[in-house]
Amino acid sequence: MATNTVPAPEQPRTLVGKAALEVDDRLPIAGWLRRTMNKVFPDHWSFLLGEIALYAFVVLLLSGTYLTFFFDASMREVVYEGSYAPLRGVDVSAAYDSTLALSFDVRGGLFIRQMHHWAALLFVAAICVHLLRIFFTGAFRRPRETNWFIGVALLVLAMLEGFAGYTLPDDLLSGTGLRIFSAVFLSIPVIGTWVYFTVFGGDFPGELIIGRLYILHVLIIPAIILALIALHLTVLIKQKHTQFPGAGRTEHNVVGNRLFPTFAGKATALFFIVFAVCAALGGLVQINPIWLIGPYNPAQVSAGSQPDWYIGFVDGGSRIFPPWEIELWGYHIPPVLWGALGLPGVMFTVMALYPIIERKLTGDTASHHLLQRPRDVPVRTGLGAMALTAYIVLWISGGNDVIAEKFDISLNAMTWFGRIGFILLPPIAYWITYRICLGLQRHDREVLEHGIETGVIRRLPNGEFIEVHQPLGPVDDHGHGVLSYGGASVPKKMNQVGGARRAIKGFFRPIEEPAEVQRQAEREARGLEAEEASRELTRSGRPAEGGRPSAGGRPREPRD
Amino acid sequence: MSTTDHRPGSTGGADVPGPLHGGPDDDYTPQQLAAMDRTELDRLGARYDAVEVLHVDPVPEPGSPLERKAARQVTLWFAIAALSAVAFLVVYAGSNWFLPDWSWEPGDSGWSALFTPLLGATMGLSLLAIGVGLVLYVKKLLPHETAVQDKHDGSHFDRVTTGATLVGAWHNSGLPRRKLLGGTLAFMGAAMGVMLIAPLGGLIKNPNKGNPLGTTPWADGLRLLRDDGTPVRPGDQVPGSLETVFPAIPGGNSVHHSDAAVMLIRLRPDQMETLVTPAGQEDFGYGDYLAYSKICTHAGCPVSLYEQETSRILCPCHQSQFDVTQGARPVFGPATRSLPQLPIRVDEEGYFVARSDFREPVGPSFWNMGRLN
Amino acid sequence: MSTTNPSSEAPVDSHRGLRARFGRRPVAGSPAAAARDRRRSKQRRRLANVAGLMAALVLTGVGYSVLAPGASAADDSTGTASNAVEAGQELYTRSCITCHGANLEGVQDRGPSLIGVGEAAVYFQVHTGRMPLVRQEAQAPERAPIFTEEQIEQLMAYIQANGGGPTMPSGDLRDGDLAAGGELFRLNCAQCHNFTGEGGALSSGKRAPSLQEASDLVIYTAMLSGPENMPVFGDNQLTPEDKRAIINYVQTIKEQADPGGAGIGRVGPVAEGLVIWTVGMGSLLFGIFWMGTKA
Repeated sequence: MATNTVPAPEQPRTLVGKAALEVDDRLPIAGWLRRTMNKVFPDHWSFLLGEIALYAFVVLLLSGTYLTFFFDASMREVVYEGSYAPLRGVDVSAAYDSTLALSFDVRGGLFIRQMHHWAALLFVAAICVHLLRIFFTGAFRRPRETNWFIGVALLVLAMLEGFAGYTLPDDLLSGTGLRIFSAVFLSIPVIGTWVYFTVFGGDFPGELIIGRLYILHVLIIPAIILALIALHLTVLIKQKHTQFPGAGRTEHNVVGNRLFPTFAGKATALFFIVFAVCAALGGLVQINPIWLIGPYNPAQVSAGSQPDWYIGFVDGGSRIFPPWEIELWGYHIPPVLWGALGLPGVMFTVMALYPIIERKLTGDTASHHLLQRPRDVPVRTGLGAMALTAYIVLWISGGNDVIAEKFDISLNAMTWFGRIGFILLPPIAYWITYRICLGLQRHDREVLEHGIETGVIRRLPNGEFIEVHQPLGPVDDHGHGVLSYGGASVPKKMNQVGGARRAIKGFFRPIEEPAEVQRQAEREARGLEAEEASRELTRSGRPAEGGRPSAGGRPREPRD
Repeated sequence: MSTTDHRPGSTGGADVPGPLHGGPDDDYTPQQLAAMDRTELDRLGARYDAVEVLHVDPVPEPGSPLERKAARQVTLWFAIAALSAVAFLVVYAGSNWFLPDWSWEPGDSGWSALFTPLLGATMGLSLLAIGVGLVLYVKKLLPHETAVQDKHDGSHFDRVTTGATLVGAWHNSGLPRRKLLGGTLAFMGAAMGVMLIAPLGGLIKNPNKGNPLGTTPWADGLRLLRDDGTPVRPGDQVPGSLETVFPAIPGGNSVHHSDAAVMLIRLRPDQMETLVTPAGQEDFGYGDYLAYSKICTHAGCPVSLYEQETSRILCPCHQSQFDVTQGARPVFGPATRSLPQLPIRVDEEGYFVARSDFREPVGPSFWNMGRLN
Repeated sequence: MSTTNPSSEAPVDSHRGLRARFGRRPVAGSPAAAARDRRRSKQRRRLANVAGLMAALVLTGVGYSVLAPGASAADDSTGTASNAVEAGQELYTRSCITCHGANLEGVQDRGPSLIGVGEAAVYFQVHTGRMPLVRQEAQAPERAPIFTEEQIEQLMAYIQANGGGPTMPSGDLRDGDLAAGGELFRLNCAQCHNFTGEGGALSSGKRAPSLQEASDLVIYTAMLSGPENMPVFGDNQLTPEDKRAIINYVQTIKEQADPGGAGIGRVGPVAEGLVIWTVGMGSLLFGIFWMGTKA
């Protein structure tokens, strides 16, 4: 009868096994699941930076959903009658009123609200650190330009999302921020007033803007962010991870842990740790105390009115930009345009186009899956340091009044520091970074050529004192190492090559290197031959291999 | 997969399926797979996914002191996580039940002020302990393997065959030949796209209807009121003072008239000596009183950090500084225009009133501000 | 003032003043009560005008020494008023005359005239240690006062006797509506002193000092006298009730706990940005370093 069915010699006997079979019968998933679980992830801490941002976003979604149950995004005027006495009887908007209510009259509401705000700050911060890692290691190069571009878009969207959220409580601080935002719209040439009236539905602030920002904040922008994150990860999985150069690592493989269970365990752990940091900050450190700030009133303002940190550089740009207003035939282009719109606009455009710019400048159109050490690309590293310096100057200028007040510096001097520093410091940062990169490169070459400084001083028969160097690999007739630089980290201390016999538990090291050394030490202790597998891993002639004292490489002295 | 079904709608045993899956299912018979142990199967599957497990660091021997120690550590962290979660629940649900009230009122510094920090500390500790426990579990109790996976570039075969399908369909559609149809399709697409977003045009508001950007509620004879609604008399302020005043209309001090706030400044006698009034504004003040718009001409923040000795008004947002003895001219920072001055006089009852609206737009500059009538 | 102006135009009356509304709340919200309250506040303000002048003469010796914390003795208040003036003059000649001149007329580029500044200004300046000045700089820094309470009183008496001016307040300085005080604080004070009174920067090295250490009397006298660059808030601009409401608000906010955890200076987003980068990102970077290490 059953001629075409395969007789299964081992049918699952356990309940779980049977259930799994039932599922796979209906939804053939086993193959996909195995491929996913077998996916190899590189094991280096810097690959987890993007995950911090991802998990912060998850915390934002969870806590934000909670907040929507209580928040009323309306600018309707009400009289506050809640439990916070110093505001009782004050005219406030429904948005402000409901934010106060969810802070003080909802059990745990303040905690969730603060967790949401901290997670937002963390989200953008993690994106920035992740972006810096990608930039400085050249991970944006072909074929990953698309993902770089998506990442930049995510950063911009995260900032807009954060700004919208910052504005929603309609307190004095965020209202002031919104007013500045309105001035930025107004400053756009030709269509500025139209944009301004369209955004606010009339003159500032109108009665619509909180509702509009709300739908942007809880639906439109998060949906776009979510879609882009999905795309970002899909592209990542399709293209597979980059990795740092090292033993056995090539452009055509990925060395690390399989997703299941090692990487999945660590990723889950990281989610809980990110969640823990948001929760702890949310409860232990007060953020945006809108009851102290007060409701928005266009005639009131507080000293030290600042946006959240990620908009700080825009504010800084507006603060230090000189009073240059272009006026032609009664048409005005105010300075706000350049400081608050032009500067970020140029910044993000250059950032988004950087992979293309670099490709044009270097003529390097090849695909790259191995990362570069920042020192090996001094121009890019210098440019990055330059951009970072300019950003930090703007950022400091964004808080220059608080800095002036706390450190007793003249406010005007701080403004001038920003103006001059923005022009002067980036080139200096470029030059210094460039020189540091070259210095580090030279030291790498020196160690490869002459070996590691052992700290052992020997006196030669002719009375000359020399320091004994440990070569990293085979040497030529002159005692110079013949290894060439392979883009990987060069060991510079004896214990990194097993010279100290026990691997240091490298806190800042990728996991394979000490493991290899430690395994070797264990094997030696047991008097066993090295395994074939380890030969496989290290055969590509990367500098981590060879020269190990155990491999017969006794410390040698250079001839010259 | 029953083959004995002869009911209507079934082809019964005559419908023979093709080869099951091909690929590995052809390479390995169920019997062969059954003969392999779990590790072998795992490695086999990995090889099919281009993954080679290079090396596995063994876990500590089960029952060894090292293993027991690691297991104890992990257990301890998970126990901390559980206890902290319980502590969170106790604080959360117990407040106002067997614990003091959680609801905070100004002046409270007891339990209610500690409620949120306690929630944060317990939840944070609980989640952190889960994370730490998991990391320790992975690091100390799971075998640490080093695997390598091959990376494949795009397949030439896939490209050629997919391309053939796409280009074939394109040619079969005849669109390359049917120019008119193609053009119409493009036009239709564009028109439909614009049609779909056109309703957003309802958002657009005309900023030039009634000159809302060039005018404020101020008008001739309108009194200058304090925020409590009382009018101001010339004797009310002492020299060296500043007061924020609003037009005497309903909602004068509210978000509905965000450009209306005015600073009424009374100068000291020595400031009067250095007073320079801009041309055309000589009679805008009243004695030693001057009235300027409170809205910064840079980005619209309320300026009002009045330094009465240096005669400067500072904006707290971007640090523009204006000199009130020189027609509120900007002397530092990014602002480019003077604060507009409100012409004032005193009415027959002795209260300050405006003589007219501002003569220029209030607040930040914009494109056609010089062309408003 | 509206009592002298019963026929004030309609918009004025229809403007529902904040303070009027605050006034209404405690008395069960009847409009009549609100009007009465408002009238009373006007009367009080007019009374204060007269009282201000009277107080200049009367309160000099009497009021303050009763009120002053640790005032040496209440019994010498009547008899030794002129003695206090003389002692004050002596102190003045010793410590202040260089900058403020022999006849309080001020010295060019050194110090302003003290005629008419009143005892409130003296109290503020000397009690917060701003005067006598050690050296000329952008702004006089706060220090521990140099003079004793008694000496300060004598100085105050001397200045008050020469030209008069704003006098010391009496009674409970926190006797005002909290919420109304908050509105007034945000409208008149927060722009320089920050929304929680943490202080802020002004132009060219000057700053609005933090109110954290300021006593009720110091805040009151500062508003009344407008020290240095601070504008003056005369009694006809901010009534004594308004001032008390503001003080009530400032001191309440200062003493109030932070229900959301550590207040991190209550200066707003700059401190928050610092915390997320150092504590938040810092601890997470530490975490992922640790996760990447071998067991």
